[in-house]
Amino acid sequence: MKGIYRMNKNVKNGINIFLFLLPGLALFIGVLIAPIFMSFRYSLHDMSLLDPLSKENFIGLKNYVKLFTSGSIPFPKALLNSLLLAALSVFIQLPLSLGLALLLGKGMKGERGFLSVFFMPVLISTIIIGQLWLKIYNPDYGLLTRALWALHILPEGKLIQWLGDEKIALASAFVPILWQYVGYHMLLMYAGVKGVSVDLREAAMLDGATDGQINRYIVIPSIKPIIKVSVIFAVTGSLKSYDLIKVLTDGGPFHATEVPTTVMINQLILRNKAGMGSTIAVMLIVLCFFFAMVINRAFRRED
Amino acid sequence: MAKDSKNAKKSPMTIDDYYIKKTNPVIKVIIYIALAFWLLVNLFPLYWMFTFSLKSNEEIYGKNVAGLPHEWHWEFYEAAMNRVDMIKLFANSIIVAVLTIAITIIVSLMATYALTRLKWKGRTLVNSFFMLGLTIPLHAALVPLYKAIKVVGIFDSMWALIIPYSAFSLAMGILISTGFMGEIPMDLDEAARIDGCGVWGTFIRIIVPLMTPALATIGIYTFLQCWNEFLFASTYTSSFKTIPVGIQQFFGQHTTDWGVVGAALCIATFPTLLIYIFLSRRIQESFMAGAIKG
Amino acid sequence: MKKIVALVLAAVMVCGLCACGETTPASTSTSTSSAETTVSASTETSTEPAPEPAAEQISLKMWCIATESDSNYPSYVKAIEEVTAAHPEINFEWEATENEAYKTKIKAAAAANELPDIFFTWGGAFLGDFVKADRVYCLDDAYKAFAADLPESMLDNTTYGGKHYGVPLTMNVVGLFANMDMLAEVGYTEVPKTYDELIDCCDKLVAAGKIPFGCSGKETWCVTEYIEPLLEKTIGAEELAKIFAKESTWDNPDITKAIGYFQEWIAKGYFDPSGISLGNDEVKNNFLQGKYAFYQNGTWNCADVAAADFKSAVAEFPVIDSSKAKLGQLIGGPSDTLAVAASSPNAEVAANFTFELGRALCHYCYLDGSGLPAWKVDYDTPDINPLTQAVADICNQANGYVLFGDTAMDADTAQIYLDYVSQIYGSKIDGPGFVAGLTDDIG
Repeated sequence: MKGIYRMNKNVKNGINIFLFLLPGLALFIGVLIAPIFMSFRYSLHDMSLLDPLSKENFIGLKNYVKLFTSGSIPFPKALLNSLLLAALSVFIQLPLSLGLALLLGKGMKGERGFLSVFFMPVLISTIIIGQLWLKIYNPDYGLLTRALWALHILPEGKLIQWLGDEKIALASAFVPILWQYVGYHMLLMYAGVKGVSVDLREAAMLDGATDGQINRYIVIPSIKPIIKVSVIFAVTGSLKSYDLIKVLTDGGPFHATEVPTTVMINQLILRNKAGMGSTIAVMLIVLCFFFAMVINRAFRRED
Repeated sequence: MAKDSKNAKKSPMTIDDYYIKKTNPVIKVIIYIALAFWLLVNLFPLYWMFTFSLKSNEEIYGKNVAGLPHEWHWEFYEAAMNRVDMIKLFANSIIVAVLTIAITIIVSLMATYALTRLKWKGRTLVNSFFMLGLTIPLHAALVPLYKAIKVVGIFDSMWALIIPYSAFSLAMGILISTGFMGEIPMDLDEAARIDGCGVWGTFIRIIVPLMTPALATIGIYTFLQCWNEFLFASTYTSSFKTIPVGIQQFFGQHTTDWGVVGAALCIATFPTLLIYIFLSRRIQESFMAGAIKG
Repeated sequence: MKKIVALVLAAVMVCGLCACGETTPASTSTSTSSAETTVSASTETSTEPAPEPAAEQISLKMWCIATESDSNYPSYVKAIEEVTAAHPEINFEWEATENEAYKTKIKAAAAANELPDIFFTWGGAFLGDFVKADRVYCLDDAYKAFAADLPESMLDNTTYGGKHYGVPLTMNVVGLFANMDMLAEVGYTEVPKTYDELIDCCDKLVAAGKIPFGCSGKETWCVTEYIEPLLEKTIGAEELAKIFAKESTWDNPDITKAIGYFQEWIAKGYFDPSGISLGNDEVKNNFLQGKYAFYQNGTWNCADVAAADFKSAVAEFPVIDSSKAKLGQLIGGPSDTLAVAASSPNAEVAANFTFELGRALCHYCYLDGSGLPAWKVDYDTPDINPLTQAVADICNQANGYVLFGDTAMDADTAQIYLDYVSQIYGSKIDGPGFVAGLTDDIG
């Protein structure tokens, strides 16, 4: 009797667990996993957007090989670009965020005001931010060129093609992307900085530690979990970036600013190549996941 | 949460005292200049957008790029309002955001409850399965999801956005809920069980009420994810337009009047920012709670 | 509180389930959502409330790109008003999406075989891809009633395998727009008629510190507006059309020659160096503000250029090699098109309606100066701007049209072509490189 009762309870428990998970799993599998599985299937075919999946156009993993070997698909370049963006994000954007968080986090006048304003760009639509930076970069009347003239950094009358010159277009396109999310990471880190035990700080200070030392030995180690999250977001976000690049350069000039998503949309929508477009989508997912794992590992090892 | 804010309120006083004594005034000035510079960099877009919306094409295209408008064309705002039903756009965006947030909250609380408070094999596995969602790019699902939405018959309704948005916010929601739920002592569950509450009873009577601080946090992260989303919004709906899609309406194939476009950008941006300014403290605290707990 | 939570939970369950897609509970959500949001948007014929004693109400839905900011928007409103007034039995709805987003949307819809009853499309290969995949309704039957108003020659770009699939609206060609005030400064009172004169004019402009040409490099189609007339007037319309249709090869010494001219323009500083990073609307505005002497682009710009502060003119690009090409060979043709989805439950009605709508749209767009009519004009056109009139004269003399290259080629080929065009504009490759690359990649 007792045994049956327990089994019933287990079954009931199992049903409950299942019911609790059901909405989440349904949503997650229906909207994310199933379409991605479909994308994976498309990626094994040489098919146009309008073709049905069929045995005739099944080509196995050839799309994946082509992605890296064909000279006509700028995917390797796009991948390098997005990795560069990820690196810039980790080594420039995040340190800037961390610096601001540390500065504001130790308490100063106007702290809240600064915080509020620094977070604002996160709320503005990327379409709008893109339009704004287009105007800043305009070679003829853009603010950047004018400002450089005024400061005599650039001889007056000299024009710079911020978004049109292959050598600098990538950097120009990255600046707004990095800029927009400084506030996001800052606020994440600020939360951590504020969470550092005050007693610990005070004790260190009484021992004669300088600001730098306190930050280095007390604050930063204790907000490491947050830094890890920031790094993961920054890296996967860089791999996924699309909107601003689309508005600013659309991958040009001459594919200099191509990122994986722009190549993907180009293949998928402009060229109707559902197979190749889906291949890039799958690669992106794999890469994002891979980097998230690597970062996780790296932080764990440091502990 | 409560503990953090107490710290924040009580102690900076003492810390400030130290700093005021210790920090070199020159360094302090430099710090403030740096912060002011960054402040400018962040405020300038708003100033620029505002002046842009009041200028004629001539001024926008070169004669007066950064200055205040020579003539203030307030009529652009009227034109923008007449051209697109801004109220409707806001209403649509808000309803999408609210329902997305509600669904994300409920679904992620339920899932988190099963994943953290009920003991069963494979829960870590399921948890990491959900965490996949943090890294998946929206674009990867564009075309297959379109087909699914058509099959289900929700194309061009708000659900065509709400359901995908909720799904893409779910991972974050679970991550945050896990942090918050971890702080609720397990004893409470046990006590509830002894009082005769079932699993559902415990969840609804004990856990959900204690999770109220988490709601705002999940809400904000979800909001940030869906408020400005464009790709899905322009593809999965046609008559049901959200703000980013409505704004894109102003960029026609042969657009000529940029002042009106600017006015539309302002109308789309400033209400959100105003609300943000009024609630900035709460929003930031909730956002930060996510950082600590997540 | 508990009740509310329970209610919301129940609601979420339904939503969660319907996200599952193929499973049965999906139907529940379908009915709820349609009840909530789309009373009039349902494409099914509504059977319950039929207030009109007239025939059964039919719902038709149209997607297009005439957003509220598009200069064609007023024409759409007027035309739709006119045609729907004549058809009370049709419950017509239309939605406009911005150009770029529209391409994504219409292709996703076509991929899912869920096109709206009527949709805007571009002639040539864009529609051709849809036709090939059986997504488009054949209009041959419906065309009979309208053949008198719509010359068959206007259907060339929407005819596949001898069957008609599109209703053309307006036609546009590439025109050489000129700022006559600037030309006057270097001694030209009219647009140069020969290629040598054009070069002389540009040289003088450059010497005077002016910029002859404005061209967006960010939007590569704008570069083709310069290159294609140049190619056509060097190798002739027939040969260019063949090349675009892959019936002839790019490997043609005359193309190398033509590209050589283009590079000469770049080398001599005819183009605004800033153009490479600008979008078309910025370049066009620069021209309208008097920064460039010429702007070669589609004739849909006529109304805007005519409204500029300077004296303006439009002309045909001069002939370069008169042994192969002649005046009257133009780039362009009817491209803006409406088509009917094969999947539409009311395709027959939609086809008829589309022709009527197309005729009305053609009328109003022409009157607004945003294109030449693809349909026969049987109405007075007193207020049309002088530039559109000039273009009409040019077209009356026309003896050969070659459709815009990126419209004529299939999607993939067009992208390859645009890629090489952008490289030429950026001086990344030379004429032989351009020809060799296109020959290898396209044929």
